[in-house]
Amino acid sequence: MRPLTEEETRVMFEKIAKYIGENLQLLVDRPDGTYCFRLHNDRVYYVSEKIMKLAANISGDKLVSLGTCFGKFTKTHKFRLHVTALDYLAPYAKYKVWIKPGAEQSFLYGNHVLKSGLGRITENTSQYQGVVVYSMADIPLGFGVAAKSTQDCRKVDPMAIVVFHQADIGEYVRHEETLT
Amino acid sequence: SQHFGRPLEDHLSPGVCDQSRQHSETVTLQKILVKEKSGWSRWHMPAVPATGEAELGGSLEPGSALVLFLDLRNVIKYDPSKYCHNLKKIGEDFSNTIPISSLTWELEGGNDPMSKKRRGEFSDFHGPPKKIIKVQKDESSTGSLAMSTRPRRVIERPPLTQQQAAQKRTCDSITPSKSSPVPVSDTQKLKNLPFKTSGLETAKKRNSISDDDTDSENELRMMIAKEENLQRTTQPSINESENDPFEVVRDDFKSGVHKLHSLIGLGIKNHVSCHDSDDDIMRNDCEYDSGDTDEIIAMKKNVAKVKNSTEFSQMEKSTKKTSFKNRENCELSDHCIKLQKRKSNVESALSHGLKSLNRKSPSHSSSSEDADSASELADSEGGEEYNAMMKNCLRVNLTLADLEQLAGSDLKVPNEDTESDGPETTTQCKFDRGFKSPKTPTGLRRGRQCIRPAEIVASLLEGEENTCGKQKPKENNLKPKFQAFKGVGCLYEKESMKKSLKDSVASNNINKDQNSMKHEDPSIISMEDGSPYVNGSLGEVTPCQHAKKANGPNYIQPQKRQTTFESQDRKAVSPSSSEKRSKNPISRPLEGKKSLSLSAKTHNIGFDKDSCHSTTKTEASQEERSDSSSLTSLKKSPKVSSKDTREIKTDFSLSISNSSDLSAKDKHAEDNEKRLAALEARQKAKEVQKKLVHNALANLDGHPEDKPTHIIFGSDSECETEETSTQEQSHPGEEWVKESMGKTSGKLFDSSDDEESDSEDDSNRFKIKPQFEGRAGQKLMDLQSHFGTDDRFRMDSRFLETDSEEEQEEVNEKKAAEEEELAEEKMKALNVVQSVLQINLSSSTNRGSVAAKKFKDIIHYDPTKQDHATYERKRDDKPKESKAKRKKKREEAEKLPEVSKEMYYNIAMDLKEIFQTTKYTSEKEEGTPWNEDCGKEKPEEIQDPAALTSDAEQPSGFTFSFFDSDTKDIKEDRVSVTQAGVQWCNLSSLADNTNSMVL
Repeated sequence: MRPLTEEETRVMFEKIAKYIGENLQLLVDRPDGTYCFRLHNDRVYYVSEKIMKLAANISGDKLVSLGTCFGKFTKTHKFRLHVTALDYLAPYAKYKVWIKPGAEQSFLYGNHVLKSGLGRITENTSQYQGVVVYSMADIPLGFGVAAKSTQDCRKVDPMAIVVFHQADIGEYVRHEETLT
Repeated sequence: SQHFGRPLEDHLSPGVCDQSRQHSETVTLQKILVKEKSGWSRWHMPAVPATGEAELGGSLEPGSALVLFLDLRNVIKYDPSKYCHNLKKIGEDFSNTIPISSLTWELEGGNDPMSKKRRGEFSDFHGPPKKIIKVQKDESSTGSLAMSTRPRRVIERPPLTQQQAAQKRTCDSITPSKSSPVPVSDTQKLKNLPFKTSGLETAKKRNSISDDDTDSENELRMMIAKEENLQRTTQPSINESENDPFEVVRDDFKSGVHKLHSLIGLGIKNHVSCHDSDDDIMRNDCEYDSGDTDEIIAMKKNVAKVKNSTEFSQMEKSTKKTSFKNRENCELSDHCIKLQKRKSNVESALSHGLKSLNRKSPSHSSSSEDADSASELADSEGGEEYNAMMKNCLRVNLTLADLEQLAGSDLKVPNEDTESDGPETTTQCKFDRGFKSPKTPTGLRRGRQCIRPAEIVASLLEGEENTCGKQKPKENNLKPKFQAFKGVGCLYEKESMKKSLKDSVASNNINKDQNSMKHEDPSIISMEDGSPYVNGSLGEVTPCQHAKKANGPNYIQPQKRQTTFESQDRKAVSPSSSEKRSKNPISRPLEGKKSLSLSAKTHNIGFDKDSCHSTTKTEASQEERSDSSSLTSLKKSPKVSSKDTREIKTDFSLSISNSSDLSAKDKHAEDNEKRLAALEARQKAKEVQKKLVHNALANLDGHPEDKPTHIIFGSDSECETEETSTQEQSHPGEEWVKESMGKTSGKLFDSSDDEESDSEDDSNRFKIKPQFEGRAGQKLMDLQSHFGTDDRFRMDSRFLETDSEEEQEEVNEKKAAEEEELAEEKMKALNVVQSVLQINLSSSTNRGSVAAKKFKDIIHYDPTKQDHATYERKRDDKPKESKAKRKKKREEAEKLPEVSKEMYYNIAMDLKEIFQTTKYTSEKEEGTPWNEDCGKEKPEEIQDPAALTSDAEQPSGFTFSFFDSDTKDIKEDRVSVTQAGVQWCNLSSLADNTNSMVL
């Protein structure tokens, strides 16, 4: 468990900023306490200071996880967001996509969102913009990347992919053993 | 046209093919009807693949309806049996048909600008439901629609099919389990495909379109263009929502999910857009219902076919339609003959199902009659009554859910005669038992109707039933009527009333009215009525009553609840029944019957108690009850083992004694003797009990003094009753109880006191001792532990050393260091954030500055702070200025004497004169105004020093000249002096005035 290097921090923040934009600042500078990012087993954990101090008492090899896992650094030092970060991304998300009930299951099985399943989308969503996917009941289901801009979404044919799947809450079941 | 029609017709019967070939430009309503009538079952075959089609279509753009269409043409060349599995092939074909797709995109391009136009307005949630409902309306009213409106359906189809497809998808998981218990017959094959029906509808429509409307692609295009224009004018909202199946929202969008949900739930049942995960069950229910409505529709259509009623086939499939049909069915159900026909037509196994249907229909009508009428109104008015429609739909929805349940329970009936499933089974069993003779269908039907629907319906049907009941003079017929009425409480009363009239026991009416428990009434009445029957038919009567009781709550509540409810009822009944008994003998003319009825009633009570234990299994318990009742009825002597009943009996005997006092002259000596004997026996028993109680009390502390005090409490009741014996008997018990209560309470209080003291000790014990708090406290504690608990060696705060501060400092330093680290990290992170988001840096700094600015703006003035003196307005300026003004005035005033400088030399000689002149002037002033208002003058004089000075100009001039600098004080003195003089003068003048006034 160690704090992130500046480079790591930058990479991670760039990734997160795709989804929540400048709201990222709210994650770093929280009014309700000190929260920080910690790297442990190549995974980045967003943890409160209090928990971090408690976790400091546990040896590194025994420590499985602490706080909330935001994602992990790949071997190529790219950052990959995990679905566990959804709790922090969803409330701050700038661009959102709501999917129809019929398409929920498909998305939760790890499939991309087709236009036919697109129920609602934030206007001015640009292509390859990180979006948080909600059900029509405003339940965050996951996040992905917009494959088409909002304007393009109007024109594409119904089977076209609108949102590339990145993570969904179905992973809590599917990747239960790897999620930490 | 053949081009389109051909592939479909391959699977259709030749007759249908002919029809489809015959189609002219304007397809008359009749043709559709005929088609539906004749080709219903045959239409299923193409429908199956069409559902798959619909699913595919659901994923397509609305504009691509044509594509679908053409695909259908292609697809249908496949073997129909493989259609369900050929979805992939369809997809390939779809990709292959490039020109067609391009065609559709052209169409969409035509649509696009419109949607763009409306993008701004765009409040979307209402869009989809509106659209669908309107579509349904159109469909339902297609009978009257001309040719021109039909193409619109073509365009509007895709979204609908899409939703239906979605619905189907969801239904797939749900319905199979439901569809399994549905009985199978030739005519009801549709039922086995509950969710396919919806797809079937769409398919059929599409087929009809292809058959009728589309002769060539050009024509189609023309029509579509025309329709688009039409829609532009008439239905902009619909079109818009079609063009954009998804909505685009702003950044600050917050979805009113619940509103949406409710809207949709209200609006469209078939529509599957209730999404809340919380409400998933709800949604499932909805879909469920919709599926079942289809089912019902199918069933009804079959029935309708059998009946050759052409009106049904006119209507297409929509919820509204179903309701309509249901209503018609209920109308039919009113006609017994028709029902009979149906029965004869349908198989025996199906008969139950049909019954359930028939039963359903009244219930449906009951709850949805209003809705239907409203919906019809809405239909007539067109698409404007959207809200009304929604309401109606909702209502229908509910009723359908109910229907479903009922249907489910009904379908089980044939299988489970012995088991007690629900209200229906019990009633049926009752019917079987109660009616040995063949009943008229009306009676049966009505009986069921009454059980079934809500109380409203029952009340509606009440009149008829009453008449029916009156037609049957026999007791046996009345009993079934009871069953019929069980469900409705309000009816129950009336029924009992009616019975009493029939039986011509007028005196009983009073009892009934007085009795709060109406459940008991019929039983008593029946026993009274059937005094000949009591012995013989009691066994029959009582089970019926019990069944009633069982069924009464049954129609609303599940059985578990019912049991408790019943038991409560019984408990409540026992006292009330005792009251009844006390009244009954008085009002009853015939004394001879009394004993009989008494026995019967006591038996009844006992019976009730027995039934309390065995209510869960209605059927079995009924049999048991019948047995037990017969046994008890055989027993003439009112012997019941339970105590309560015995007490009630004693009460009854006492009441009998009362009644005997009243009617002793008229009655036989035998009765008196009997009563007397009973009284004696009773008294003996009481004496024995008394003795027992006395003994018990004597064994206790025996507080004879306490008795009167306690009796005071119950003395009122004693006075009331006049029957001392029972009261005496009852009182000792009470006393004993009270004594025990008092003792216990006293003990309780004592114990509580003890507890309080204990608690105080405890509180002391667990007080937080400051010397042991904190880190230093621990040390102290350790020290103390060395010395034990001896007071002499107790470690106080005196022993505390001061090193703790150092430790704390260390700790603080550590904390500070950590915090610094964290802060550093945070800063780093923030820096990175800023670097990542270029805007961020400036924004963050800006934010801070903005905040600071804001705070500066909001600075609150604090008078205690010296800094804030800058914010004070200098009040001193004003007074200073005023002072300056005054000074100026004074100076001006002083200047006047300056003018008379030369006078100074002249007049300074005589001070006396000066004073006299002042007095003189004052006297002068006195004269004029003071008569009117004396109070005014003083303030004037005080307030206007200038005026005063002006008055006393000349004299003051001298003084000023005398005392140059200290003018003020002297002047004030003078003023005061003059004032005093004036006041004195005032007083005198006042006195004069008053005198003059008096005079």
